Amino acid sequence: MRLRAHPVAGVLALAAVGFLWIPILAVAVNSVNQNSLMISWGGATAHWYARALHDPNVRTGLTTTIEIALGSTAVSLVIAVSGALWWRGASARARAVYDATVYARIILPEVVFATALFFLFLKTHFPLGIAAIIIGHSVWNSAYAAVIIQARLVSLDPAMEEAAADLGATPWRAFRRVTFAALLPGIIAGGLLTFTFSFDDVVTSYFLGGSAASPLPLVLFGMIRFRITPEINAIGVMVMLFTVTLMGVAVAAFALMGSAGRGRRGALAEFYGQ
Amino acid sequence: MNGQSSVRLIGVEKRFGDLTAVRSIDLDIAAGEFFSVIGPSGCGKTTTLRMIAGFERPTQGTIEIGGREVSGLPPYRRPVNTVFQSYALFPHLDVFENVAFGLREARVPRAELRRRVAGAISLAQLEGREQAKPNQLSGGQQQRVALARALVNRPEVLLLDEPLGSLDLKLRKEMQAQLKDMQREVGITFVYVTHDQEEAFSMSDRVAVMNHGQLEQVGRPEEVYRQPRTPFVASFVGLANRLTGRIAGPAPGERYEVDLGHLGRRLAHGPPGLAAGAPVLAVVRPEDLHLTPAADLQPGQAAATVVDVAFLGAHRTVRLDAGALGQLVAIGQGQSTVAPDDKVAVSWADDDAWVVPAAGEQ
Repeated sequence: MRLRAHPVAGVLALAAVGFLWIPILAVAVNSVNQNSLMISWGGATAHWYARALHDPNVRTGLTTTIEIALGSTAVSLVIAVSGALWWRGASARARAVYDATVYARIILPEVVFATALFFLFLKTHFPLGIAAIIIGHSVWNSAYAAVIIQARLVSLDPAMEEAAADLGATPWRAFRRVTFAALLPGIIAGGLLTFTFSFDDVVTSYFLGGSAASPLPLVLFGMIRFRITPEINAIGVMVMLFTVTLMGVAVAAFALMGSAGRGRRGALAEFYGQ
Repeated sequence: MNGQSSVRLIGVEKRFGDLTAVRSIDLDIAAGEFFSVIGPSGCGKTTTLRMIAGFERPTQGTIEIGGREVSGLPPYRRPVNTVFQSYALFPHLDVFENVAFGLREARVPRAELRRRVAGAISLAQLEGREQAKPNQLSGGQQQRVALARALVNRPEVLLLDEPLGSLDLKLRKEMQAQLKDMQREVGITFVYVTHDQEEAFSMSDRVAVMNHGQLEQVGRPEEVYRQPRTPFVASFVGLANRLTGRIAGPAPGERYEVDLGHLGRRLAHGPPGLAAGAPVLAVVRPEDLHLTPAADLQPGQAAATVVDVAFLGAHRTVRLDAGALGQLVAIGQGQSTVAPDDKVAVSWADDDAWVVPAAGEQ
């Protein structure tokens, strides 16, 4: 407590926040800077945004990214939800093994998975491209989705389906009205999170995209290598706004779960830990 | 009680692998009855309830509800509703939707649904909490939502699995009274499972005592308390002083003469059909023991030393060491004059002794 009140602590905290946010602020400012060399402030303009939105490379990159993000989200949710349903009825030992495989996918470096999959696809002649990237993203995305959905699952009373059956619901109705409905906030939050992670991924996409697929982060990466223009800043700001909005919705959806209790805290830690 | 059968179990048995949870139970519960099943944990009472609800299929035997066989029907086709020990409320639905769940499944028209849900919510004293989510409610309120959610469907039978188990003592007492009132009001058959004998006695028309998957005795609370059929029932239901002896022979007034070792022969009531020489336990309830100074010891009375006196408000509990007879317990207001280490004479009236066959002792 005393340490927290020390003036140096405040200065350090401010410096840290400044260190993190000033580059982002610089990006935002330069995205509307008329001076194309970005050496000094040349007045405000929306020109770079217009240019970015009309750049064919950026547009196909964005389409590719969205296709990949949607595909990976869908695959991840199916894996995570079916895994969670299996998990409920599994033995303690089986659960531990399952949990270990989930956390391994989060902890192990992405570049390792990406390299491994790259060689696997090469050996099996699986074409690199959108499908390969979707598979690659789903490796870790399904693990994140599993953690979030399982946090919700813990709050589900095992007697819930019995209660639904007792009240006249057939097994399918009980699943739809109780199990799935109770999991829905977790599924929405998990879906938004995985979409975001997929949206700004570089490493996996770089390894598995080949020459066939260039999602937006790789397009940006390529542009930087030639020249740095305010257009890149404009794209950066747009991507950032989009991502932050999605994350905001995800966090809000997760907070709406309310009764998730302890599990919710754990999953939120996952959120921020990312 | 109109005598019509509401739930009937015929030779019902349930095995889980090698484990027999319930063995060959026959039970007939009348319509409108408040019927409790009591027993220690693991005695098969919850399994029995789950078989009536349809969550478990009996390995053998048949179950009838309202005269119709339901043994093969899934839970959602049975005219029963359950109040779960954990309540099992739906966390994503508010109080109104929780209560309306069954009616929506039954496709009850909207106006009627509103009316019936409102009625159930008022019966459960939850007015004004319709929009609350279960996690915003207290334990007692959650319990009442669970009750309203089941009762709103007007089941033929309401099954309750330790519904007051997670409430604190004071709230539990209040809910016991409310449950009994509610049952009288709706007239639905209640089948109530609990390990708490006092709780069962305070509400039930009849109770069944279960142990090791078997029904030990079924009867009115007074009957089970006053005339236990087995040593297990005698000790599970309230406190009991148990004196070992043998039947010496029949006595007038549907009684037996019982040889109680060094206490000599005493008279006692008991179930019919006990043969001379049969080993028995003579059961005397603590409130039926009388303590007098040791100097007044008469034949047939037990000499004992006071071990401990506990003051419990309305009465005192006296623990006694009666030598070869073992430990005895006496409860009453008249015991107030004794103190630890006092020598006393313990007596009881012949009408207050009841014998049970000792052979079935666990």
